[in-house]
Amino acid sequence: MEPIIVTEDLKKTYRIGKVMVQALRGVNLIVQEGEFVAIVGPSGCGKSTLLHLLGGLTTPTSGKLFIDGNDFGSMSDGERTRFRRHKIGFVFQRFNLLPTLTARQNIRMAQHIQGNGFNPHRFQAIVDMLGLHDKLEQRPYALSGGEQQRVAFARAVICEPKILLADEPTGNLDSENSQVVLDMMRTINRSFRQTILMITHNPEAAAIADRTVRMRDGHIISD
Amino acid sequence: MRVVSKMIVANVLHRPIRTIVSILAVAIEVGMVLLVVGMTNGMLHEGAKRVEGVGADVMVQPPGASFFLGLTVAPMPIKLADRLQEVPHVQAVAPVLLHFNTTNGLNLMYGIDMASFDSVSGGFVYYEGGPLQHPDDILVDDWYAKANKNKLGQTLNLINHDFHVAGIVEHGKGARIFIPIQTMQTLMGAHDKASIFFVKCTDPGYTDDVVDSFESLLPKYQIMPVRQYMSMMTSNSLPALTDFVRAMICVAVGIGFLVIFLGMYTTITERTREIGILKSLGASKTYIVQAILEEAALLGGVGIVAGCIGTILARRLVMIYFPTISVDPLDGAWVLRATLLAIGGTLVGAFYPALRAAQLDPVDALAYE
Ligand SMILES: Nc1ncnc2c1ncn2[C@@H]1O[C@H](COP(=O)(O)OP(=O)(O)OP(=O)(O)O)[C@@H](O)[C@H]1O
Ligand SMILES: [Mg+2]
Repeated sequence: MEPIIVTEDLKKTYRIGKVMVQALRGVNLIVQEGEFVAIVGPSGCGKSTLLHLLGGLTTPTSGKLFIDGNDFGSMSDGERTRFRRHKIGFVFQRFNLLPTLTARQNIRMAQHIQGNGFNPHRFQAIVDMLGLHDKLEQRPYALSGGEQQRVAFARAVICEPKILLADEPTGNLDSENSQVVLDMMRTINRSFRQTILMITHNPEAAAIADRTVRMRDGHIISD
Repeated sequence: MRVVSKMIVANVLHRPIRTIVSILAVAIEVGMVLLVVGMTNGMLHEGAKRVEGVGADVMVQPPGASFFLGLTVAPMPIKLADRLQEVPHVQAVAPVLLHFNTTNGLNLMYGIDMASFDSVSGGFVYYEGGPLQHPDDILVDDWYAKANKNKLGQTLNLINHDFHVAGIVEHGKGARIFIPIQTMQTLMGAHDKASIFFVKCTDPGYTDDVVDSFESLLPKYQIMPVRQYMSMMTSNSLPALTDFVRAMICVAVGIGFLVIFLGMYTTITERTREIGILKSLGASKTYIVQAILEEAALLGGVGIVAGCIGTILARRLVMIYFPTISVDPLDGAWVLRATLLAIGGTLVGAFYPALRAAQLDPVDALAYE
């Protein structure tokens, strides 16, 4: 079967004034559908940059990137946005919920943007799995970090994305809540064959993944 | 309600001061347009009605005079009245010397000759007192008396002159204040002059004939049937007034536009991160522009309603506290125009901020503190 992610010599250089920062210096990565990949490496090695590229939030400086058979290099900004809308779910270290909306509205916002309307069965299934029943009418500030991250997960997977991209999802959580979130990812990966790429600094978190990719200075050093 | 509408409402409620200021700006914009139009039209209609109330069929003014009574430049010799009087079908000619008095607000004063003014107008209705008899006598109408709490017999100082209130008359005959024309001439330094002649025909049917005769008698003078004057007294047919109204509308729309622009601009900066979140969820540029324009339209819509209600209240207050100022009631066409202007200004004001938001780089926006 065709891999869901293929990158070939992917490079990304940021420019800050006259200074060039080479965040990625040629990344070659292949991920199969349903895989759960942990990405580890020291701070500044380019992990987040890689995830942003895979999610189409930014464009590579050079190299090739195929997601689910689509060549990102040939896509316009609008096409990448549409692609992200339908195929990518993001989870961030800082939860990134919309602060003025309740948990329920945050989740439904993703469905609204996707435009396929409200799917009550999917909504119920996700809410059940994440144990969010009695939290749905709360706003983010009234939720604990673990609860916020569960809502963020629900929002990320509600539209059945092909790929879930998680950038240090347990980075702001205590060990107990981290465990809940990691179990959740495991479950989603197992029961829905959800492809997951997760950046983490936590070796225990990396251990639950099928595969660990190590990065350093913009390269993958072991896979 | 769509979830995006909920987000918009939540955002609007989240910053109540910004919301109130924006709504207020649009309300002031709409209110200003409607009040300016209501007041200019009210003033015109009311002024025109009072001129009609004089009861003349024809008005004669010197060359170059303005249709705004009282803004007349150089008055004409009062002796012309005798020549007009000899024209066939002329029943009476009332010379009037006009003065715009600025004590107690803008008020048009008529210097009249009691006898001729009575023959043209059919006489005043006296609520109290009686006609002008002495040089220092003054007549005021009931509205003026009410607004300024004038009593019969009291002394009234106008144009640096002490007058004696000789009568309080029913409103509607040209001006609110009447003094003897000789007194007015002395006070104005316009001896033997008049600003306008009100002419009554033996029958209104002779109006056109009389106008023709007058025109050959006094070429270049402004000679106009009163009914024609009435039809001209709308702001549309008066370029100076149209310009004034336009200028006020521009100021009003400018205020609304700038406040909305600033409000939405600060909102966008404040919500950079949230916009980044929407983009990470796959929101397109159009989606973001639309959400921000909808938010602005919500502010604008509430502001428009508030502006209309505010205008109705303001009109009531003006009528209670300034009985001599007339404001026309809300006019459907102008409400529509003010609404379109306000919506237009709001959307244009919000458009640049919306575009900026749509063009934010999602990675930068998500990193924004
Ligand atoms: N938007 C940007 N503009 C300029 N430089 C950037 C930008 N984003 C990242 N960088 C630089 O690119 C390099 C890689 O950053 P990246 O965020 O991908 O690292 P990371 O592995 O995620 O680090 P961390 O573990 O601290 O999150 C760093 O040197 C960083 O300073
Ligand atoms: Mg990072």
